[in-house]
Amino acid sequence: MTSTHGTVGRVVNFPVRDTATRAGAAVSRAAADVGASVTRFTDEQAGVVDDWGRDPGLVRIVIGASRLRWDVTVGGDQRLPKRKGALIVVNARALALAPIFSALALSEAVDRPVRFVGRPDTAPVGAFVRRIGGLLDHPDEVAGALAAGELVIMGATHDERLRKVGRVDHALVGGALAAGVQVFPAATLSSPIGRAARLEIGTASRSPRRRRGPLSELELADQVGRDIEMLLAELGDIRTGTPLDWFPLTGIGGA
Amino acid sequence: MMMTGKRVFVSGVGGELGTTIAGLLEQESWVGELSGIDADPPRHRLHRTVFHRIHPDEHDRIVDTVCRFNPHVLVHVGVWEPDARAAPSAAATLTDQAATSILGAAAECSALEHVVVRSGIEIYGRGRGALTRPSESAPIAPTSDWGRTVAAIEHTAAKVGERVGVTVGAVRLAPVLGPHVPSPLGRLLRQPGVPFSVLADPPFAVIEDRDAARAIVAAARIGLAEPVNVVAAGAITALQAARRGRRIPIPLVGPDWRIARALSFLLGAPIPDHVSETLHRGRLADNGRMRELLGIVPEHGTVDVIDRLYHWPSIIHQPARVQVA
Repeated sequence: MTSTHGTVGRVVNFPVRDTATRAGAAVSRAAADVGASVTRFTDEQAGVVDDWGRDPGLVRIVIGASRLRWDVTVGGDQRLPKRKGALIVVNARALALAPIFSALALSEAVDRPVRFVGRPDTAPVGAFVRRIGGLLDHPDEVAGALAAGELVIMGATHDERLRKVGRVDHALVGGALAAGVQVFPAATLSSPIGRAARLEIGTASRSPRRRRGPLSELELADQVGRDIEMLLAELGDIRTGTPLDWFPLTGIGGA
Repeated sequence: MMMTGKRVFVSGVGGELGTTIAGLLEQESWVGELSGIDADPPRHRLHRTVFHRIHPDEHDRIVDTVCRFNPHVLVHVGVWEPDARAAPSAAATLTDQAATSILGAAAECSALEHVVVRSGIEIYGRGRGALTRPSESAPIAPTSDWGRTVAAIEHTAAKVGERVGVTVGAVRLAPVLGPHVPSPLGRLLRQPGVPFSVLADPPFAVIEDRDAARAIVAAARIGLAEPVNVVAAGAITALQAARRGRRIPIPLVGPDWRIARALSFLLGAPIPDHVSETLHRGRLADNGRMRELLGIVPEHGTVDVIDRLYHWPSIIHQPARVQVA
């Protein structure tokens, strides 16, 4: 689920403050890089939560349980930065929980905690989702996590047409620009009746033009959507091995 | 780099945090004269600090003392957390009196260059949709009495700074815990049974008193001119804290909290609204700019501070050396 949060552009600053903010952010990032020690998913201590309220012990249990539902093949994870943060945008079908299964599978693949956007702020569901790595659907929340060097997955809205990607929330993409991290498109394929699922991460998306204002996040969000559609086209159709595959509109597929 | 021989005035020097700050300031080479004020005497021996015991409602004496000292730097930590040393209403009154008198007096001092105020991450509030880890740029929307109190202090200090033309830095501390720090959260966690919200059990972060004092001293030294979150790394939930301290976790839902608050009050560990909010909605903040702005990082993480909380001795009974009765 995405929203615009009433923001036109998260990258706009007044000129005087702009220089200071950029310099401050650069110093902050440099300082963070010097002392950066990436948390390893396998090394995380159980019985405590991390800085964002994610419980590694619970995440391991949920990953084990999720294998009953999904058997996820992860590809393209070598493209992600080893230490820095990154925003990964996936296509999401209604009720497919694509950001969640993608985050769980990617955590194991890259051995880093991976968070996802779309936590409700009501107990007990919101509290549980926070424990497994959920973040609020808010640009500042996403920007804060990305600036802290976290991998964050967000979903595009659902599009009824097969192999088409819905709207990518430009405000959240603006959070990535503000944090100075890359945005990666990723295609997900899953089936409502089978376990096989796939997450394929593409190369980082780039805005077609250099912009100084909020157009940069709008154009980058559109570009990410197009890149995901390209990845979906490259993946082809998923096969269940059943006669369902013979029908043209089975609802099987990622978009 | 600051010049040497600066006159530094510490309000709230009688509290554990204020005494630790004064102790650290005494070791700073840039500090010349050091003076402090509080309603209670300092908790430790201070060698260079001149202490004035004045109650916050003695407005004229405070103004006279501060103006005579004519400080270059004012460190304002004279705040009363609700149910720490005073009941919530008394704490709010004392904090307001101290802030008005001391910051107002400092504004009259010709030598004043810089003001540092102790604030709290409660200033961000925990309303629905509030950010999980607000940074310093997050909107100020306090949802507890203590949050509104620290917001008022920051507001008053900012107004003074604007009017007089001096820099003002606000050190937004996570809940401060320490062996001798009167903290409602610390007191509650040390009870034999620790209540937690069974539906939410959200995470919170804390800061140890010495790390908090180091941050405030650093803010005074560098002339911090903006707010900074001072929070220990990591987080913990009430259930996890109870388990680490081998306390009995008491799961509560909805109306149970009323009973728990009343019982806890009778047991000597009242639960003010900001602590209740912490247990229901969590309390985290982004400490990413601490190193950049203050040049220091906390020595102890949140889990470490909680572990130490349970290892601090409770009451040590010293038998009389000479039995007189």
